Formats: sequence, structure tokens, C-alpha cells
Amino acid sequence: MRRSLLLRIAAALVAIRLIAGPAIGLASGQADTGPIAVVVHPDVPVDNLTLAELRRILLGDREFWPSGVRVTLLIRAPVARERDAALKQVCQMTEAQFRQHWIGKVFRAETPSGPKIVYSAEMAVEQVNRIPGAIAFVDAALAAKGLKVVKIDGRSPGQAGYALRSPGAK
Amino acid sequence: MMSESPGMDLPESRRPWRFARGLRTAAVCCLALLPSPAVAAGQSPQEPQQAAAATHDQHDQAEAAQYPNLRIAGFGDVNFSATSKPEGPRGFTLGQFVLHMTSALSPRVTFFGEISLTARGDAGTGSPAATGFNTEVERMIVRFDRNDQLKVSFGRYHTPINWWNTHFHHGHWLQTTIARPEMTQFGGRFIPVHFVGGLVEGSVPAGGMNLNYQAGIGNGRAAVISRGGDAGDSNGNRAVLANVFARPDRPYGLQVGGSVYADTVTLANSREFAERIVAAHAVWQKEEPEFITEFAAVRHRETGGSSATWSRAFYAQVAYRLPWQERLWKPYYRFEHVGIDEADAVFQTVQPLDMSTFGIRYDLSQFAAAKGEYRTWTRGNGVERNHGAFFQVCFTF
Repeated sequence: MRRSLLLRIAAALVAIRLIAGPAIGLASGQADTGPIAVVVHPDVPVDNLTLAELRRILLGDREFWPSGVRVTLLIRAPVARERDAALKQVCQMTEAQFRQHWIGKVFRAETPSGPKIVYSAEMAVEQVNRIPGAIAFVDAALAAKGLKVVKIDGRSPGQAGYALRSPGAK
Repeated sequence: MMSESPGMDLPESRRPWRFARGLRTAAVCCLALLPSPAVAAGQSPQEPQQAAAATHDQHDQAEAAQYPNLRIAGFGDVNFSATSKPEGPRGFTLGQFVLHMTSALSPRVTFFGEISLTARGDAGTGSPAATGFNTEVERMIVRFDRNDQLKVSFGRYHTPINWWNTHFHHGHWLQTTIARPEMTQFGGRFIPVHFVGGLVEGSVPAGGMNLNYQAGIGNGRAAVISRGGDAGDSNGNRAVLANVFARPDRPYGLQVGGSVYADTVTLANSREFAERIVAAHAVWQKEEPEFITEFAAVRHRETGGSSATWSRAFYAQVAYRLPWQERLWKPYYRFEHVGIDEADAVFQTVQPLDMSTFGIRYDLSQFAAAKGEYRTWTRGNGVERNHGAFFQVCFTF
């Protein structure tokens, strides 16, 4: 009887995971294999960035959009896969190197502040729509919901050759 | 070699054009600095009328409530040294305690400040008794950012003619090694480490070359040549400098550049020298490997004199972040040379140097590191070689 009870609990957990898992994952922006989209505030007059331009923005070497509005870089806190993808695939840096780069950047008086940290995909979406000049990295599935998505090297998220893949994706 | 303008070495009284040139430069800087009303409000001059749309206004008002803001960070280090012949401090020493302040005064105007506290060797002596630490305003800069291509600032800088001087400043945690190269030591005399004046700088993509420029005018060296002219210039001639460097998209991680600096140095004994400095650097900033090399040549010619002296210095540093053990270990080697022309009256107290440094850095955390070094050096022909072991724990907070 005990064995039967355990089997039922296990089956229930599997069922819950199968039914609710993907939905829960998407709702919290944690789909772990989809491409990462680069999104900007709707007023940013840019539709496409090269990977090198995106890198210069991420490293604070480019501080202004062509319209003259200051770039506000929004980036997820460490461990988030959006941050991981940006650091590894765009900056080719480890977390420690990225932190040291920005500490040095501010210390050299090259920029008044480092990137703004956002703690969830939802917060990134809310902030990028609110702050003029903002740019953020979000799950491509979230980006479909009315955000301005910037192409990277002429390619949209999901297209073959798109630069920003989830770190675990093949 | 830099080209020389005729009249550069003439006595001060015969150089009225230099005053006019200074005025013109100052006027250009001020005109560039003057913001349009839109810019002062945090908007771009190029932005169309819809930039004043409600969303922006609301955001600007919310942002305006945040100014001025203030962020404080700092660096510190503790050192230990043992040398075969006494040279410099021995045993445990407190390194500089450095406070760095950043304050955004508006979306386009920012203040940067850096203050250091340095332990004094003569603490408690004299009357009144010397304090235990010297407090120094290392940098104090107010900057207006028009866009990426034009930023204008005024204040006290680390002279931007040397890569190390402007990349690591007083943050020992930022640099791989324990000490700065001798040619750019704080308190050293080979290059002017500090510069008080104004600076125009910016960057342009230039087809992926990412060219950066800096041009400045300000007070040169003080009568004590290791110091900048904080309380005014020591003569009527301002120092001028230009620095250009490229950070190309490919290969990513490379930076190469060069700079020139011109000034008239008036020593405490009233002797006056024209000083010209040319410098170049090449840096590979990735850590697998890291490579840094710099060269600087300093030319001095006494006013009214016919002969000039050249003194030269360079260093080359290589390091490699080991892939094992969570990439916490980073061994390094540096060779440096300082060659002083014996006839150079300005550098009479500057010692020549040939030094090799072998060391390893271990990152204790993402914000603290320990470094150990062995150095061997000699200060000129016939001078006995010295050796030393050095250790440092450094951090940022």
C-alpha cells in the first residue's frame, strides 16, 4: 500500500511537471533554450546593430544613440541566462572579468555609472519600455509581446546564424 | 619624433602668441561646453520635437529628482616587502586608501573625485608633529558629455599620455602586478603624472577602428617636477597634450595609441627647460594572454641652450589567466627599463633602472586579490644588483 502511494505521488509530480512546467517556465522568463532578443525603448532610432556595436554598448564604450539620447544598459543579475549569453557570446568575458571591466570603467571616470541591474524578465520589459534610451536582453518569447526588437547583424531572434543563443542551446 | 614649432624654446617674454593661443583654446572649450537649453534639460539637440512628448517629460522629471546623486567606491591594499639591500619601505606597509566618488549632476554633467590617504614615513616628527597619513586630491573632474564624439571636462587628471596612468589610477586591485612601472610611479618624475586644466575627448567608429582622441591644455609640472601645478602654473606657459588611440572591433581586445606632450618646466632654481614627450602603447587586454607595453621619450632643452637631451623608458608585461582551479591564478612577468641622459639637468635625481618582475596573482574573491612577486633590479652600470620579495593583498569595495 505504501508502494502504491509513492507511485501515485510520483506520477502526480510528473504530470504536474509535464502540464504546468513549460507554462511556468515561460511565465517567469526561464525557458532555457530559446534565443535571447535585444530590445530597446520604442523611441530608440535603431533597428539593427552589428555584434561589435552591441559589444561596445555592453562594455560602455558607446554611451549615446544616434539621436543623442544616453544609452541606459539594463542587464539581469548574475546567473540569469540572458546575462550569461550576453557576457559569453558578445563580450567573450567571464562574470569576474565583466565586473572588473565596469568597476574600472567607472573608476577611470569614463562613465558615471555601470549597467542597471534588473532582477526578472518582467522587470526588464517594464524598464525598457519606461526609460528612454534603454536597452535590455530578454527571452525572445517575451520580446514578441509588443517590444521593439533590434536585429543583430541583420538577423532576428530565431533566424539561422543569430548571434545570441541561450548558453545551453545547441 | 614629434615636429618642433619654431619659437617654442624662446624666452617667455618673446612668446605673446602663446597667450593668444591659450585664450583661443579656452574659448573653444567654453563654447563647446555651453549647453543649449534642450541639452541642459537632458535632451539631445538633434532630437525632434516629439522628444518633448509626455513620456519623456515624465521620465525627465522623475530623473531630475535623482540629481545630484552620489556613489562612493574605494580601493585599499596592504603590503609586505623584504629586499637584500635596503631600498624603500621594509616589512609591512599600508598601501594607499583610496576613495572614489561619482556624482551625476544631470543626465549630461558628471563629477568624478578621487582622494587618497597615504601613510607618512615621518609621522610624529617636526613641530607641529606630522600626521600619520597624507591626504591628497588625486583627481577632481567635472565633465559635460555632449555625445560620444565630444566630451569636455575641467579639473585635475592623471595625465592621459600614458596608458597605465589612466587605466589603473590608484586602484591596485585593478592591475595585475603589485606596483606600477617605474616610469609612471606616483611621486616619480619621468612623466608628469598629474595634469590640471581642461580636456576635450571623444570617439568615432571609423569603420570599426573605434578611434578615440583626447586633447588638453593645462598647468604643467610644478617647480618640484613630480607634482602638478595644483595652485597655479610655475610659469606663463601652459602644457598641451594630444592622445589618440584605437580599439578596433577586430582583433577584439587590442588597443594601440600614441601621445605627445609639450610644456616649459621651471625648476626651483629658476632654470627653464622646454619639455617634449612622445609616448606609445600597445595593449592586448584579454587575459589569455594579457600583454601591455609602453614606451616614452622625454626631451629637455634649456631655454637659450643649443643642445637637447633625450631620456627614454619602456616596459613590457605579459600575464596569463590559468584555466584551472576556477581561473583564480594569473602568473606574470614584466621587464622595465628607464634610461636617463646623464646631461639631463631636469632628471638629475631620477635614477636609471633595469628590472625584471616575476609574480602571481590569486583572486581571493571577485573583489579581493593576493599577489606575490620576486624582483631583481639594478640602477645603472656598476651599481650592485638588488633583489626582493613582495606580497600584497588588495581589494575594492
